Amino acid sequence: MAADDDLPGPRPSFLARLSAFETIVVAIIALIALAGLMLVGKGFYMKAKAEVSQVLLKKSFDAQLHGEADGKPWPWADFETTAEIMAPRINRSAIVLKGASGQALAFGPAWLANTPLPGEEGTSVIAAHRDTHFRWLKDVSPGDLLVLTRKDGRRFLFRAGEGRVARWDESGINASASGHKLALATCFPFDAIEPGPMRYIVTAELVGEQHPVPLTTGSIAK
Amino acid sequence: MFLDDEIAESRTRQNEARWGMYLALAALAACIVMILGLMTQASAQTVNPPPQQMAGYVRPNDMGTGALLFPSKEPGYFVEAPRLATDVEIDVNGPIMRTRVTQRFQNPSKGWVEGTYVFPLPDDSAVDTLKMQIGDRFIEGQIKPRQAAKEIYEQAKAEGKKAALLEQQRPNLFTNQVANIGPGETVVVQIEYQSGVRQSNDAFTFRFPMVVAPRYNPQPIVQTVDLDSRSGYAVSDPVPNREKIEPPVLDPRENAKVNPVTLTVNLKAGFPIAEVTSAFHEIDTATIDQLTRKITLKAGSVPADRDFELSWKAVEGKSPYAGLFRETVGGKTYLLSFVTPPVAATETDKPVKREVVFVIDNSGSMAGPSMEQAKESLALAISRLKPEDRFNVIRFDDTMTVHFPALVEATPDKRENAIAFVRGLTADGGTEMLPALEAALRTQGPVAAGALRQVVFLTDGAIGNEGQLFQEIQTNRGDARVFTVGIGSAPNSHFMTKAAEYGRGTFTLIGSESQVAARMGELFTKLESPVMTDISATFEGAAKGDITPNPMPDLYRGEPVVLTAELNGTAPEGKLRIVGKAGDQPFRVEMDIAKAATGEGIAKLWARRKIDDLEASASAIADPASLDRQIETVALAHHLVSRVTSLVAVDATPSRPAGENLTATDMPLNLPAGWDFGKVFGEKPDANGTVDEREASVESQTKLVMVTADRMLAAPTARAAGLIAEANNQVNLPQTATEADKQILIGLMLLAFALVAGSTFVFWRGQIAALVIAGVRRHGR
Repeated sequence: MAADDDLPGPRPSFLARLSAFETIVVAIIALIALAGLMLVGKGFYMKAKAEVSQVLLKKSFDAQLHGEADGKPWPWADFETTAEIMAPRINRSAIVLKGASGQALAFGPAWLANTPLPGEEGTSVIAAHRDTHFRWLKDVSPGDLLVLTRKDGRRFLFRAGEGRVARWDESGINASASGHKLALATCFPFDAIEPGPMRYIVTAELVGEQHPVPLTTGSIAK
Repeated sequence: MFLDDEIAESRTRQNEARWGMYLALAALAACIVMILGLMTQASAQTVNPPPQQMAGYVRPNDMGTGALLFPSKEPGYFVEAPRLATDVEIDVNGPIMRTRVTQRFQNPSKGWVEGTYVFPLPDDSAVDTLKMQIGDRFIEGQIKPRQAAKEIYEQAKAEGKKAALLEQQRPNLFTNQVANIGPGETVVVQIEYQSGVRQSNDAFTFRFPMVVAPRYNPQPIVQTVDLDSRSGYAVSDPVPNREKIEPPVLDPRENAKVNPVTLTVNLKAGFPIAEVTSAFHEIDTATIDQLTRKITLKAGSVPADRDFELSWKAVEGKSPYAGLFRETVGGKTYLLSFVTPPVAATETDKPVKREVVFVIDNSGSMAGPSMEQAKESLALAISRLKPEDRFNVIRFDDTMTVHFPALVEATPDKRENAIAFVRGLTADGGTEMLPALEAALRTQGPVAAGALRQVVFLTDGAIGNEGQLFQEIQTNRGDARVFTVGIGSAPNSHFMTKAAEYGRGTFTLIGSESQVAARMGELFTKLESPVMTDISATFEGAAKGDITPNPMPDLYRGEPVVLTAELNGTAPEGKLRIVGKAGDQPFRVEMDIAKAATGEGIAKLWARRKIDDLEASASAIADPASLDRQIETVALAHHLVSRVTSLVAVDATPSRPAGENLTATDMPLNLPAGWDFGKVFGEKPDANGTVDEREASVESQTKLVMVTADRMLAAPTARAAGLIAEANNQVNLPQTATEADKQILIGLMLLAFALVAGSTFVFWRGQIAALVIAGVRRHGR
């Protein structure tokens, strides 16, 4: 930032004193600084997009639960919401979108549409970015309760098991396996800065459904 | 006096400056090193080695011909069971063909496995029969609703019974799960399906899938000999000379010997046959009479990279232009009719002038490979335009851009311009299709005289307002034809099929990058050839029936109208009337139903088409469950596998009496009545090779068996085999890391670099220069 102040600083006397070579050097430094700013900006924009979209999604999901028509979170949204997932112990939640195609993952965790709906027979898979929505997945410890509220208002309780690491194409998750399971997946290692082939998977077992369906969301009945 | 002071001061300043400079340079160097480090790490990580792929490993989706797959030791990959024999029998009866494929496989391992039989089929096939022999059990498929079938299968599997479940994965791909295959057991699969013969111009053709699936790269087999320290012997290895075993043979000629195929076609064309040709295989043709041929595959002629394709033509002047066939099943009459409309003379030589409006979806749901495929397809389409054609390009997400103000001549520079526009598109935003559709249908000006207006829509169809869009197409289409191109692995086919139907165009599905050229090529042929339009069929007189397809699609040059219909009663009367327009020329055909010739399999063909129609009408039916029920009713009535019905095979032979041991060689004698597995047992059809060749064949067969056994993941018990098969059927996880952190990091680095470089520069300007000058002066002095 300081470089920026120094360089194209509006001091004609300074700029005027520069030779041609020096002007080029100043210009290159300014360009590098600008590129750096843009990259930082873009990175933070992605994070901000992920956060802000969740707030909007949460609003539209609550509206849906209250039986309002399929209000889109914002007019140009290109996906549907499916469920809300909460981890009460670490006090985290996220709105889950349908399908991991296209840009859905930038806005929220995605339920893989080729797996059964959470709460149905089989293993349902929800995946999200390790550096935004599932940043907290590593904090989910075995035995934690996960609460999943579906768009249709049904609310399921899952008990998390051990986390494990696997390659993306060797996940060992069988969507049609017996039992009602939920697998949460994100990239591994958590602090890597490059996309890699490894995934961290937490599998949870259904322990029950919460009755009756509370229409007020937000608080978890214990 | 002051000189000393000055010198001392300048020395300290010099020292300070030097240190400052060193510091700055060091920081600079550190920055560069850090950035370089970041870059190299980035490139090192992006080049991830592909998952280990080895010779002989296959993936179910790659299969180009029937194969039994066993789970392998490589997760996600399968090995093909050794195919001991394949027999194909095809009965062509006029425009209908029935294919019976019998294949014999072997479990070469010493354990239990659950296998998957994969068979790709032509698009309009109706699968109705599954017969299997697993080890010493014969089982026959019964049609059941999909869920019920699955439960029966799982139940039987858990009880350790032999069982099989045939499900439709896609309309042209069926998989058959086979449970509880014991050590060394033989599996015989026989499936039967009904399909239509393709007719184009005056040639009749069909295809039978025979392409051998790609094998993954060879990798040497590494073996460590585990010597027992006390005895000095190595622990016994089930496969001797393992390191000498080569990967399973890929040479088609070798393959033919290892997987002998016999193919017989009983061709009853229904008209005098002039010539019968096979594009890729050598055949023997025996003439039975004027109307009938028997075609067999010449031994050894099985190119593994081509499907078997047979085409035949009628004797000059005897080519049928219309036909009507009937079949009575369950108190109802089913009709099959085909008519080749006359080709209007004016249209045959003159190329058609076209006006094409391309509409491309660049909404967020298209992000990734879909967008690339769409862009590539569209660029290809634009480059195929001729200078006399006119065109325009519209792109849309939640906003839209019409590239040219109006239709423009497709001159090379305009095409270049449009292609550049398309290449520059990125996927973002929502999907607001209606304004783009309106722009394409309404605002492109009137159609020029004699021109053909076409709207080509490229999208994944991720939309919610289907009804509105259909309405728009129906009311404002005018003379335009709407063609839809579905992009991506899971486009909304219902929407696009229906949109194309309302728009009197066609739907083209592009599932992967590799299909772009071929599929778009098919579409171009249609776009570029004149059409027969406004075709409709009605019954006159007493008869009243359910006609499929409904509505009738447009036809392209040389294609016949083919329709099937269901009529009440066993002896309906009346006339079938087909009307349409060839160019500006109307045509009309009437056929007397009572005079129809009898044919077989028409009911099944009708049912299959009815199911297609139902699937395509999904958008119009509010309740998906009721649609599923309708499909189920039709499929169950006609014993067909569909999206909602499966064939589940149950034991057809009584339990083997205790104490009586059957060996594999006893088996063929115990065939249930009406079963015909004979051709895949008996002599191996290899007799015309020399002794050497036969020995070589036996040798490679043995090798293949050993390699397969070695690579299979067989289980000690049947139950474990089921678990292994289940674990192999896994979900691929999407990429779940954003570039955000990396970008922030690199951005910060760049900023730090600029900061350091900037300070260095300022420092240098202000002091170092002066210092250097001072130094030079001092030295000069």
